[in-house]
Amino acid sequence: MTQTPTAALPRFIARINLRDAGTFFGLILIFAVFAVLNPVFLTSPNLINILQQSSINACIALGMTFVIISGGIDLSVGPAAAISAVVGATLMVAGVPIPLAVIGAIMTGMACGLFSGTLIAVAGLQPFIVTLGGLSLYRALSLIFTGGNPIFGIPPEFRQAINGLVFGVPVPVIIVTIIAVTLWVVLNRTPLGEYILAVGGNPEAARIAGVPVVRTKITVYVLSGGLAAVAALILTGRLGAADPTMGNLWELDAIAAAAIGGASLMGGKGSVVGTIMGAVILGGLRNGLTLMNVQAFYQLLATGIIIIVAMLIDRATRGKA
Amino acid sequence: MTNSASRLSLVGVTKEFPGIRALDDVSFDVRPGEVHGLLGENGAGKSTMLNILSAVFQATAGQIIIDGQPVTLNRPADARAAGIAMIHQELQHIPQLSVAQNLFLGRPLTKAGGLLVDRRAQERRARDLLADLDPRIDPRAPIHTLKVAQQQIVEIARALLDDARIIAMDEPTSSLTPSEFESLAALIARLAGRGVSVIYVSHKMDEVFRVCDRATILRDGKFIDTVDLAQTTEDQVVARMVGRDILQETHVSHARPKPVMQVEALSDGGFIRDASFTLHQGEVLGLAGLVGSGRTELLRLIAGIDPVSSGRVTLHGTAVNLRSPRHAIRAGIGLVPEERKKDGIVRDRPVSSNIALPCMSRFTRFGLLRRRKLHAESTALMQRMGMRPPDVTRAIGTFSGGNQQKAIIGRWLAADVDILLFDEPTRGIDIGAKSEIYDLIAQLAEAGKSIIVVSSEMPEIMRLSDRVMVMREGRIAAVLDGADISETAIAAYAIPKSAATDQLTPSMEAQQ
Repeated sequence: MTQTPTAALPRFIARINLRDAGTFFGLILIFAVFAVLNPVFLTSPNLINILQQSSINACIALGMTFVIISGGIDLSVGPAAAISAVVGATLMVAGVPIPLAVIGAIMTGMACGLFSGTLIAVAGLQPFIVTLGGLSLYRALSLIFTGGNPIFGIPPEFRQAINGLVFGVPVPVIIVTIIAVTLWVVLNRTPLGEYILAVGGNPEAARIAGVPVVRTKITVYVLSGGLAAVAALILTGRLGAADPTMGNLWELDAIAAAAIGGASLMGGKGSVVGTIMGAVILGGLRNGLTLMNVQAFYQLLATGIIIIVAMLIDRATRGKA
Repeated sequence: MTNSASRLSLVGVTKEFPGIRALDDVSFDVRPGEVHGLLGENGAGKSTMLNILSAVFQATAGQIIIDGQPVTLNRPADARAAGIAMIHQELQHIPQLSVAQNLFLGRPLTKAGGLLVDRRAQERRARDLLADLDPRIDPRAPIHTLKVAQQQIVEIARALLDDARIIAMDEPTSSLTPSEFESLAALIARLAGRGVSVIYVSHKMDEVFRVCDRATILRDGKFIDTVDLAQTTEDQVVARMVGRDILQETHVSHARPKPVMQVEALSDGGFIRDASFTLHQGEVLGLAGLVGSGRTELLRLIAGIDPVSSGRVTLHGTAVNLRSPRHAIRAGIGLVPEERKKDGIVRDRPVSSNIALPCMSRFTRFGLLRRRKLHAESTALMQRMGMRPPDVTRAIGTFSGGNQQKAIIGRWLAADVDILLFDEPTRGIDIGAKSEIYDLIAQLAEAGKSIIVVSSEMPEIMRLSDRVMVMREGRIAAVLDGADISETAIAAYAIPKSAATDQLTPSMEAQQ
């Protein structure tokens, strides 16, 4: 009576996450519709284009996914990206070797995360409010530091590295792929991953079971800040400038990608693969609508509909399971 | 079965879920003014039956007859209209609103042609209603300021407001003190005296025998029997519930003379003061006392969960750092908490992950989790402990309370702690699994673990403990050993002087 059908299936099928399969189905459906409507959509240059366009959001959304799984939220990713870009660009323009400048930018993003994470985990403040404060704070700092002007004069070597191709694949896509694989391993195959899922699922039970709750929470915000810096570096390389207004509303795209991919804002649930697919769904949607010359207003409309439909399907399928 | 003298008749009620028949052709009847127990192990079908009566589920087949009239219960409103009210285990109200507001929630008394809520009329009506039940409850007080027992009374008042003829109570005493239970028992007797029929679901046999007139026993979704409790013994009822005899095990001590843990003048800066005692190897120390006497709080201090203000705990002669549960666990102390859902399990995670949380390093190599080792070890552990089914990849939340408890105990075996603290280890666990938990605790003691068991159930304390420590108002009142252990001795130390009178009043009320 309690025998589940999964036990009889081959292991690899049983191990596929049902929710991820649902996201994948949605992805295929949306891509199929565009493929029918526009012959250019499903060509490999365009698909690579979609991946490239999605990579920045995917990078931010991966950090966001970890924060959301831990039961929190990080609204400060956009400004954290901006301040990281400003620091990195300033270092590069000042003649600091590029690798050191990159490290400086990433450390800046991580410092932003450490700040939020400490306030949340140690002082016990609410993640929404703390990172809302961080959103204003980091934006203000980068505007004050630059006087509101973009920093130009990014070294061409850095720009070439970011805009280059490896085996025909854009460098940002490769960077984000490496990050995604690493984070998949972290979430599914390390103690930290178990801790994050436990802290998000039931913080008090996790604490009583000996999980280092404070350290785990701080880690996810530091990760989110660091990934915001990586996204900022990619955009700086592509634009050839570091804009202190960079990253406006990035947090919303990232939350959307994570939610479409199955992350629960209640904490304890989320998937790296799902979030990547969520980012590609959003990227593919924008790309497809642009190809069909649909006004930007309608693109926003479509994004909103997709998010809400995804949540409805999520609720309907979870209710049954 | 059906006769005109029945308030409620269930005829051939069946409920099927995909792949499972939760209720199979169940028929019984409840008389007017009768308190009718509904008994069975977890999964026997009690909850399904209550859910059908409150129209949360619809029966697949069968008939429900109230006062001779067949009723169709499709929506919760139908159940209310038919005169059925449910008092849930987890009380349902809005904490910030007042007693009166909660009573009239969803059906306010209005003035100005229905535009405005007539608060004064609601409060007057509430006061009239509560005067009968518990006059100490102020209709204007926010409901969260009331004790759980009083909140329950408000819930009952709400049922009376609906003119309920049948009130079903699901584990109503799970968070009540013994004296509050006495008040509730008296109240139930008064309700029955007014002709209200009460369906009483509880795991606690002594309560059922104290409160109910007759009881219907379910097992595996099937009707087993309706018994007259005046002519039945507890053992007979339990045997029918589990379908076999539960052996009354006698207590065997595995305590060795070697002291393992020393608690010295432990205080939390408020309630818990100067707790000192010694725990020996292989010993089971029962921790008795009234609910609210500080037993849980003391365990939480020793487990590093709440901050210690003064005093210390030494383990094998070394002082334990009690800064966090993580530190206490590293020293070798693990807690099996009372509220499993809140403090024990991470519901959506697999059993294996729940087991591994305190001892992740044992299952890690080069920074990576060794999933296969974790799976193999936790499966072996759960098979040994009799988890059913022993599938550790399933989310722990899908298992019954008893199985969840086995996983939490398994967690501390995997972490290999020396000291196990159990807080109400069998709360919400059915009788079959209960005796398995008892056996486990005895086995752990035999294996040399030292154990403290907090329990409000006297038979549990008597059966498990080598020594019994009694707490009263945040202090250790006595430690009883050997022949000194008796229910009367424990009760004498547990009841504070001031509360002794409080204890008596409700039972006197009951006799009136």
